[in-house]
Amino acid sequence: MSTPGPATPRSLESDVMSDADDVDEDVDEAQKEREAMLAKEADDFVNKFTLGKRLQSDDKGKELRRYDAATGFFRKRDYSQIPLKPNHQQCPLWIDPENFTIILERFHPAAQKATDFLTTIAEPRSRPTFLHEYVLTMHSLYAAVSVGLRPKDIIDTLDRFLKTPLPPAVRMKIEETTKKYGKVKLVLKKNKYYVESVDAKILQILLKDEVIGALRVHGSDTTSFAPTMGGLVIPGTQNAAGVHQANLKQQDKKSDEEQGATASEGDLFATLNEEEDDDDKEAVHAFEILDNSVETVQKRCLDIGFPILEEYDFRNDDVNPNLEIDLRPNTQIRPYQEKSLSKMFGNGRAKSGIIVLPCGAGKTLVGITAACTIKKGVIVLCTSSMSVQQWRQEFLKWSNINPDDIAIFTAESKNKFSSSTGIIVTTYSMVTNSRERSHDSKKMMDFLRGREWGLMLLDEVHVVPAEMFRRVISSIKSHSKLGLTATLLREDDKISDLNFLIGPKLYEANWMELSQQGHIAKVQCAEVWCPMPTEFYDQYLRADGRMKRTLYAMNPRKFQACQYLINYHEKRGDKIIVFSDELYSLKQYALKLKKVFIYGGTSQSERMHVLENFQHNPDVNTLFLSKIGDTSLDLPEATCLIQISSHFGSRRQEAQRLGRILRAKRRNDEGFNAFFYSLVSKDTQEMYYSSKRQAFLVDQGYAFKVITQLANIEQTPDLAFSTPQEMRELLQRTLVDNDKGVEEDVETDDLFGKVGGGGGRRKKGNGGLAGVRRMAGTLGELSGGQDMAYIEQNKAANKALKKPKKGENQSAFFKKLQREKEKAKQATRAAK
Amino acid sequence: MVRAIRGVLIECEPAIKSIIVHLDSANNDIIIEDLDEQHLVVKENMVHVLKQKLEDRLKETYRPEEPLADSD
Repeated sequence: MSTPGPATPRSLESDVMSDADDVDEDVDEAQKEREAMLAKEADDFVNKFTLGKRLQSDDKGKELRRYDAATGFFRKRDYSQIPLKPNHQQCPLWIDPENFTIILERFHPAAQKATDFLTTIAEPRSRPTFLHEYVLTMHSLYAAVSVGLRPKDIIDTLDRFLKTPLPPAVRMKIEETTKKYGKVKLVLKKNKYYVESVDAKILQILLKDEVIGALRVHGSDTTSFAPTMGGLVIPGTQNAAGVHQANLKQQDKKSDEEQGATASEGDLFATLNEEEDDDDKEAVHAFEILDNSVETVQKRCLDIGFPILEEYDFRNDDVNPNLEIDLRPNTQIRPYQEKSLSKMFGNGRAKSGIIVLPCGAGKTLVGITAACTIKKGVIVLCTSSMSVQQWRQEFLKWSNINPDDIAIFTAESKNKFSSSTGIIVTTYSMVTNSRERSHDSKKMMDFLRGREWGLMLLDEVHVVPAEMFRRVISSIKSHSKLGLTATLLREDDKISDLNFLIGPKLYEANWMELSQQGHIAKVQCAEVWCPMPTEFYDQYLRADGRMKRTLYAMNPRKFQACQYLINYHEKRGDKIIVFSDELYSLKQYALKLKKVFIYGGTSQSERMHVLENFQHNPDVNTLFLSKIGDTSLDLPEATCLIQISSHFGSRRQEAQRLGRILRAKRRNDEGFNAFFYSLVSKDTQEMYYSSKRQAFLVDQGYAFKVITQLANIEQTPDLAFSTPQEMRELLQRTLVDNDKGVEEDVETDDLFGKVGGGGGRRKKGNGGLAGVRRMAGTLGELSGGQDMAYIEQNKAANKALKKPKKGENQSAFFKKLQREKEKAKQATRAAK
Repeated sequence: MVRAIRGVLIECEPAIKSIIVHLDSANNDIIIEDLDEQHLVVKENMVHVLKQKLEDRLKETYRPEEPLADSD
């Protein structure tokens, strides 16, 4: 039948064709290909030189340009013509004058100082061990100004750290941007909105603007003096213990970030700042605007290039009652938490903005400390009812707040605090729910709307769509807003909206640094490649998108790898969390391996029960979680994490999941490492997604090892699906189950779908069916004769035998014959 | 009469084999004989077409279009 030719190439290398000398056209093709390649190479080679020449002729400093073997790689971004400073060895920074990228030599002795400065003025791009990349953006400069840096300071400091003189383009950019940003502030004073600025000229511009001018309340212009950090002490910092006033040590630390002002309004805060002696008493001009026009003014100001900063002068707010809250005396906040808060309270007022800390680095404590500093009514918004509970407990743990003053507003409980002010913890969906509410929650909402809050704490801000934020922010009035997140990134570009809805990014911590200091766990990351068995891969190729995802999650080799890793780590005494986005596979894995699992449909009490057991029961060491566990789940016991399926290329999910083990309790043990495994089915889309997902963590300095083979995996006792027959059964079951149960697979507990755990959708469904309906049907249907279960059971027995169905009982040979016959028939038919 | 077809023996990973079989299933004009998990005999004149198709397919696998935007 088939006679292999004399030259039988064994592979598909590119030069295969040249062996088959009797097929002319193929030879031609191969030659052409090769020629084309050579030509391209030659072109590239020539291009390198011509490019170099062109640049050379353009440049004034061509004699300064250095040529070496690497020159060609830099192309247009060759800046070797920029002269180095004589003392360049003492400077740790490089800059790219065209796209404002700054590169920091992390190994340089002055790197620490430069890092502090850079985190203030630029956004970190990538922070591996030795070289960090930062970029100057509009928003980062905006944030720098908002913590009180002046353009002159930025330029001077940058110039000091750079190995080369500061390029004029960068200087221009800084000046341009800072001139526009952060000059105008919106202040809520005695419950009236004021637009305020130190520069009277800018206010003139605003007042002349037709939109803003019309919204001004006449006769309200004032001039006062800017307050300083003064006696404000963030509780929990070292110097908060004991002395409560005029703390010079802290003052020094912060003074270089502060706005130039020395005297404050009250005598009480008349602390002098040695470093800022020149500009005494900076005048602040303000005019009042109508309450309901705040958003219009903000938008308009943005349009004309003067975005408004929102600040809350909480110490001079005597309208809203003070809340009795303070950190417990034994609470010490960590240096980076202090740093982030000092950015928020930079000039004695509360600025709105976002603080970015890795998961497990104590975001909650930052939020609580901020609440203790402001000491006004606080509303905390989180993503799930589970984290609502956690927030309340944290508040009770870290602060001395009266338990009656902190209330919870969820579907299950709707309390109010007893005294005049307090803390409310709730979820985003509770406050934005636009559907009809129960009487209780409606009353509660009116209560929330009717009040003025000192601080709005927004947990996990990255997950909330901008539209939802707008609704939250417009319905609940608060003086200041603090967003907390670990991963300020989204796959869509909605993140930039947050800049204006909440405020600029105030602080972003360096993950590697924190893990070196022992604040978060050291993590070993690995990607395990699991080949797909042929049957699975065949199906995979034929399947549609959703089924593809199910198939690569259900890959039996992946299953085995998972089992192996669980065994291995349970023996080491690790507590393991296994994540799966795919609900079907989550259940299958958990049931097969006899482990506990939590997903959207798990009831609240069952969740609590399972979590409790995972934390304290030495027999329960592995927990399977669907994506509801991605965020806000505090499990300090977990030390190992296995990911079997995930949400496409979402970098954020990867980082959030990693965060589940960063707070490992045992992190400070000698030589302790947490483990993060990502199981990936080979040759599928998962490989691509996986590399995409890792991008964020790689930028944070994590390295992923690739494991292609797990040693001795076949020796695992009771290895699942070890025979081809079992694999086939699994495949059949997967296909059948997923064909019929499409709806079942929908994750019901989406964070915003509804409140208070799963069940809602199902309840609704039942409600719909409860009414009497008239329908036609056969008797057999009613007696269950047409039920799938009957067929399904029979099939299982057949599957083991793998008896081919009718029409499939031919060997490949006969099939081929038949095909050819049919083709011939068709050909003759076509000829007719 | 015995017919002879020029064929090329291909040895590859099971996954690649699966892809080739899948490509073949459209017209049955590539594969002559399916030997085992890693071996195939394909028609010699189709090798070039096959290579092209395979490359396209692999590109698809490693750069799929985003099926969904970040949904939350």
